[in-house]
Amino acid sequence: MRIKLKFEENEKKFIDRVNELSGENVYSCYQCGNCSSGCPFVFEMDILPNQIIRLVQMGREEELIGSKALFLCASCFTCQSRCPKGINIANVAEAVRHLIEPKGKDYFGPQEIPAELADELPQQALVAVYRKFSK
Amino acid sequence: MGNKKTKLHYYPGCTLKEKTTNLDDTTYAVMDLLGYELIEPENWTCCGAEFPLTEEKIVGLAAPVRILRQVKLEGGNKVFTVCSFCFNVLKRANEAMVTDPLKHKRINAFLKDDITIDRVTGDKTTGFPEYNGDVSVLHLLEFIRDEVGYEKIRALIKRDLGKVKVVPYYGCRLLRPKGKIGIDKPDDPSIFEEFLENIGCEVIDFPFKQECCGSYLSLSMPDAASEASYNVLRSAKLNGADVLALSCPLCYYNLDRRQDRIKEKFPEFHEMPVLFFTQLLAWALGVDEEILGLDQHFCDPRSVLGIDKSGVEI
Ligand code: SF4
Ligand code: SF4
Repeated sequence: MRIKLKFEENEKKFIDRVNELSGENVYSCYQCGNCSSGCPFVFEMDILPNQIIRLVQMGREEELIGSKALFLCASCFTCQSRCPKGINIANVAEAVRHLIEPKGKDYFGPQEIPAELADELPQQALVAVYRKFSK
Repeated sequence: MGNKKTKLHYYPGCTLKEKTTNLDDTTYAVMDLLGYELIEPENWTCCGAEFPLTEEKIVGLAAPVRILRQVKLEGGNKVFTVCSFCFNVLKRANEAMVTDPLKHKRINAFLKDDITIDRVTGDKTTGFPEYNGDVSVLHLLEFIRDEVGYEKIRALIKRDLGKVKVVPYYGCRLLRPKGKIGIDKPDDPSIFEEFLENIGCEVIDFPFKQECCGSYLSLSMPDAASEASYNVLRSAKLNGADVLALSCPLCYYNLDRRQDRIKEKFPEFHEMPVLFFTQLLAWALGVDEEILGLDQHFCDPRSVLGIDKSGVEI
């Protein structure tokens, strides 16, 4: 097996942008898995929280595109409170979503709300979900 | 002395004026009994619900900083909230104005040119002063612990809640991110337990008290949210609780109003009443039942408060 020790230009740029936007340092993660063992949504995720960090560390932008896990993060910060390196995965996920979201397209916009629910939804949930998942 | 009330700034947030008026009404009722007159900052808006997590989204700080600046302009040096989301956003926005010079500069530059128009005279004001993070943001649980004191609360108790077995549910936003919120230790909190004990509840511990209820995923990933909510309520029930106490309107939506959808996904699910901490406090302090807004709940909590279906105390 060939192991590549040097990042391509675009890979390096992706890693730098994620670090810059999120204010985190993904290189400091040593893949202990504490984050994934505490995340309340792993049962639905295609890749685990520590794997999100790993893919960013390796500059693998294409493999993050279409990942459901990025949209299952509820910013509950359980991972952040348990990470021995203090990494905030919710910040990293938000930065990655920003970089890979199809330009000008909402992941979850007002049109997705079923009409019969419109009356019962709390305002804060609507504001929060649009802040997270739409442009 | 006498009946003079202490004025205190209160930021309710949008959900409390619409979907969870029970939380707002009981807050007013208990604070009145504790001797406070609440002032809502003039022209308050939504706080934005989410603290922006990336530099790209920092314009989301404009709304919470504007609210805090208004408290300051009205002569306040502290503001309290009961909604955990509002608390989290306001507290973090305030902290950012103290510790992050770039955010301070960018947000103040943006807000300086706000214009307010006097409703009576039509006069316009602009050129607002910088906001430097000098209003302290408190959650009501903190305010009660640190400023009112449990002793005062105990002296005012009118109804005995003794038989009620309650689990405190913190959820995410009262405790995390670690190091940014500081209402209590994120891994081993006790403020909610102390509050409940002091108002006369029997407190039950349970392992899901700091777990997420599903949050805003109940809109975008409803199935995943139902499972998270189910885990919380099931654990509360298994540990012998009669009722789950909380402080967040979104937790209330997920853990009470969506119990029908939890039941659809998990047919073995047993209903479980939830109450806001202010409802429990209001009841203990002798507030009338109508103020508690119990008819807004999906799962009727009357029996845990010792009220029969027709509203008579038993
Ligand atoms: S807990 Fe922190 S160091 Fe451990 S795998 Fe997760 S992000 Fe990496
Ligand atoms: S912040 Fe996101 S990734 Fe971290 S534990 Fe919570 S849901 Fe999982």
